[in-house]
Amino acid sequence: MAIRECALKNPYFAKLFDVYRNRDAAALAFKAKGGKVLAKLGFDVPDELVLAAGLMPVQVYADPDKELVYTNKILEYAFDPMVRKQFEKMVDGTYKDLADYLVVSNSTDVLIRVFLYLRELIRSEPEMPVPPTAFIDWLFTRNRMHQERNELTINIFKAQLEDWTGKKITDEEIVDAAKICNENRAALRKIGELRHAEQVRVNGTEALVIIGSGFFMDKKEHTDLVNKLAEDAASWPVITGKRVFVTGSVHEDLKVYSMIEDAGAVVVAEDHDWGDRSYERDYNMDYPVVRAIVDRYMLRSFSSKKAFVSQRVETLNNSVAAAKADAVVFYTNIYEDSASWDYPSQKKSLDEQGIRNICFAKMQYPAQNNDGLADSIAEFFRG
Amino acid sequence: MEEIKKEMPKASPSGAVKKLKATAEASAYQKEWFQGLKARVEAGEDFGYLNADVPMEVLKAMDIPFVVNQWWAAICGAKRMTKKYFGLLRDAGYRDDLCSYCATAFAESLDPDDHAYDAEGKPLGPWGGLPDPTIAITRLTCDCQSKIFELFAKNHGADFYAMENTVARTFPLNWWDYATDKWEELYDKDRLDAAVEELKELIRYLEMKTGKMFDINKLQVVMDNINRQETWYGKIRDLIADSHPAPVTVVDTINAVMPAQWQRGSEWAADHAERLYYEIKELADRGDVAVPNEKYRLMWLGRGLWHDFPFYQNFEKKYGAVFVWSMYLAMGADAYRRYNVEADPLRALAARYIGMEDFLHMPPWNAQWFLQQAKRNEIDGVVYMVPENCMQAVEGSYFIKKTLEDAGIPVLAFNADPVDPRKWNRDTMTGLVEDFIENRVMKKEK
Repeated sequence: MAIRECALKNPYFAKLFDVYRNRDAAALAFKAKGGKVLAKLGFDVPDELVLAAGLMPVQVYADPDKELVYTNKILEYAFDPMVRKQFEKMVDGTYKDLADYLVVSNSTDVLIRVFLYLRELIRSEPEMPVPPTAFIDWLFTRNRMHQERNELTINIFKAQLEDWTGKKITDEEIVDAAKICNENRAALRKIGELRHAEQVRVNGTEALVIIGSGFFMDKKEHTDLVNKLAEDAASWPVITGKRVFVTGSVHEDLKVYSMIEDAGAVVVAEDHDWGDRSYERDYNMDYPVVRAIVDRYMLRSFSSKKAFVSQRVETLNNSVAAAKADAVVFYTNIYEDSASWDYPSQKKSLDEQGIRNICFAKMQYPAQNNDGLADSIAEFFRG
Repeated sequence: MEEIKKEMPKASPSGAVKKLKATAEASAYQKEWFQGLKARVEAGEDFGYLNADVPMEVLKAMDIPFVVNQWWAAICGAKRMTKKYFGLLRDAGYRDDLCSYCATAFAESLDPDDHAYDAEGKPLGPWGGLPDPTIAITRLTCDCQSKIFELFAKNHGADFYAMENTVARTFPLNWWDYATDKWEELYDKDRLDAAVEELKELIRYLEMKTGKMFDINKLQVVMDNINRQETWYGKIRDLIADSHPAPVTVVDTINAVMPAQWQRGSEWAADHAERLYYEIKELADRGDVAVPNEKYRLMWLGRGLWHDFPFYQNFEKKYGAVFVWSMYLAMGADAYRRYNVEADPLRALAARYIGMEDFLHMPPWNAQWFLQQAKRNEIDGVVYMVPENCMQAVEGSYFIKKTLEDAGIPVLAFNADPVDPRKWNRDTMTGLVEDFIENRVMKKEK
């Protein structure tokens, strides 16, 4: 594993790493004290509203070791393997025990299908242990009409939260929650600077822990830990090696990043939702509350799923340049296909800029199921 | 009504036996229409390339020539171009195992010989190749589709236009009882409102692009023609349901209906549907049935098997098993009609196009409709082709299968591809269906 001694010995990192490895602990403790937990599937469920409603948001994640008892019956093979593992937990009672509510955002077409299937299971097989489930139906194409429609969508979600909790959410509560979220993003940006700077102090594997732990714990506590950690990490040893940008599938675990960094490179940035993209763009305090939420979630950098090829080419070029990356690793799980249509155009653009790149497509999940992957990665960085 | 002479059934070039004059007429019409379209494009007119769920009625009303992606992919599949096209994709650095339905035309756009001729003067591209579109429109009903359409548009030098998609929050199970007359009650009001706004934006874009004005009166005519056409399809569907043995099979109906469905809104398409009805009715009236030994009525779920139509007829002689139902006829009948158009033709159009994906691909709407149709058509078994590389067509096969089987209707579900013959083994699939008929359909208690 590529996490260094300086990180492992740091008390703030150690705490975050503990949360990262024991992802359900904080939510269970919150529930034990009478709190309510909301599980999020997709990365376009606004924390600002969930926190304002007095709920603890946690991210749905896959358990690679879980047997797919229900999933293999219910989902077609076109669902990617990570989503399959997530789905099992949503229908086998795992999330019914952990969370009071489940919210799915339409961040990918696959997740839309997951929501439709969950909704139909709840309707036709009510004995299945699926938590009460809601859906957020964003429009991601960028024009005025869709921005306006998204305000309606967010008001529908707000009303759903109010219905679940039995209390109105005030504008003041949303603003207070937004401050908490913005402060969290600001803290994570400090870590981002330690990765993107000329002198890299935090590697990608460490960053995944720092960012990902925030999906499973109290946000203020996470902010506090990350701020303190950023101060300490500023004096961690400088990391040398090829600067790498990772794009494609999300990485819920450390395996691929560890393979890259064990090969002597360092992941300085990425554009997936378990990485840099999760803390992009603030809630704008000058806007009316619902409009500010729409602005934050609709206008982040283009995701690999909800964007056209030209938008993805431009986004990747800009992100790679900002991170001063020497190389790009494309990594997509099998059946996670949409990025495959971006790849040839993105590759062409990178090649023209002289930026080395390698593509791992149709990958098995979890990553260790791919024979020879670590060797292939090492070979690329030796080249 | 012109007397219909009884003719011996003819085999199409693909080997599938088709017995209807209307099929031949539709086939001839679409070839003539396509040549006319090419001439208009060559003369400088704008030309649209649309995904099937795009509200093509707007372009029809504006007299903008267009081709529908799924129709063209089926033509390419039937012309056995897929292998070549997917090789071109591979050569250009794309994967060749994705999105076969939607990527076919993009792959064709990589073919330098699409508009060329061989030494004998025969065109190398299907029907002489696709003319260069100036407009490519799709809806965002799938993460891949917009990307493919954008790439396609770029290769042709066309504008790329994307229309959004929303998910139904309310969903009365018996949607078909609402869709025709009570469509306002079928959808969330805000979904319809948003779709109308989308239509207005599309219209404004098309007016600016083509210099043609959108006239609401012309849309009214288009909508009326479609209602007339789909009403005839409803009568045909009911006639087949009530006829034992059936006068025609899916080989007849798909080939007769689909070319006309892509022409919907035109006088020709509505008239053709009427002629088709009377031709089939006459067959039924005089007892001229498709398979005299019909014993088992099969339902085909999924997209048409464009590269192997004779497959559908493999089980007639041996078992008396006849494919009598596919969505291609029934969808038009139940999903496309919209009455009460006069008050607001745009809203009626919105109520048609936003439901297309939902009716087919959203549980429980699809499963409930298939069940209702299976019962209405006295179906003995369902053969269900689940596409293996298309998230857009992922439609809750578990729920569909369960809904039908819970009602006592056996289902054979298998993975295959509608346009890519590389993933199809006729012998294997025939064996699979034969086993299904022998062990599930024939043993089913009637």
